[in-house]
Amino acid sequence: MRKISIIASLVLGIFTLNIAQAQVTKEPWTAAELKSTEDLAKQINDPSAAQPVIINVGPQAVIKGSLDAGAAHEHGNIDQLKSILAKQDKNREVVLYCGCCPFEKCPNIRPAFTALKDQNFTKPRLLDIPKNIKTNWIDKGYPVN
Amino acid sequence: MVNQLSRFLLASFLVLAFSYQTNAQGTVVKVGNAAPEIALPGLKDDTVRLSSLRGKVVLIDFWASWCAPCVQEQPELKKLHTQFAKQGKFEILGVSLDSKRPAWEKAIERLAISWPQVSDLKFWMSPVAGTYEIEALPFNVLVDRSGKIVAINLHGKALEEAIALQVKMPAQNP
Repeated sequence: MRKISIIASLVLGIFTLNIAQAQVTKEPWTAAELKSTEDLAKQINDPSAAQPVIINVGPQAVIKGSLDAGAAHEHGNIDQLKSILAKQDKNREVVLYCGCCPFEKCPNIRPAFTALKDQNFTKPRLLDIPKNIKTNWIDKGYPVN
Repeated sequence: MVNQLSRFLLASFLVLAFSYQTNAQGTVVKVGNAAPEIALPGLKDDTVRLSSLRGKVVLIDFWASWCAPCVQEQPELKKLHTQFAKQGKFEILGVSLDSKRPAWEKAIERLAISWPQVSDLKFWMSPVAGTYEIEALPFNVLVDRSGKIVAINLHGKALEEAIALQVKMPAQNP
């Protein structure tokens, strides 16, 4: 009986820790708002597909046709992003990307995506770049500027 | 029939084994290989070449002003530079994957980096990122006096020990 209570306490403890960690690492985007590089590349390469507004919020606009708001963590660039967004239809798909480094180390995607969400676009998206723009975009031969 | 199947399986195995070997040999940046030449614009727009540092142990430090861990590492590199470069046997070559010149220059100034710096300001599109098979920053390659790669992506104490070992080694004829 004692063993069972110890195991139950351990399980409960681990469960609580997991919940606490999930709360700490809560991101401004949802899983549904992440867009794969493969899907975006297909969309860009398909002239009949509806084209999203693609905005770089990192060091350089690499993706073909993307607009450059500049690195979001640098002073003044969130305002630059907002001024680009102000000219867009709220129902148009907007895809933000950085690609400097993996998400957990990127200083740009969180402030930029938060600013995008604040603008009430109906299809806000963040390009899912697990490693960086070289590995996940350039090396795959996807279209570049 | 059984013989034919065996031959087919053996042939398939050999083809696969050969492909694997070919891929493995395709890696340019590995210990023992010559470090690929780097010839990129320096801060004064002059072309700086890795080969111009031949005869010294060289740490090629791939970094960028937008890469927080790279920037954090610079004071450590400064200590290593101070410790080993005064003997004239060691140098660091900073290769930046920055995209904007002002950000690159400002970071060098702020961090008071005194070793040679180069960048083509092409971010991840820089050909050097492909040549050196860089997957993430920070990344570095330690090159001996003859231009051969002796260590890849060491940091902290391991890097210091590797540099100390190379600097102590007598110069060899290439």
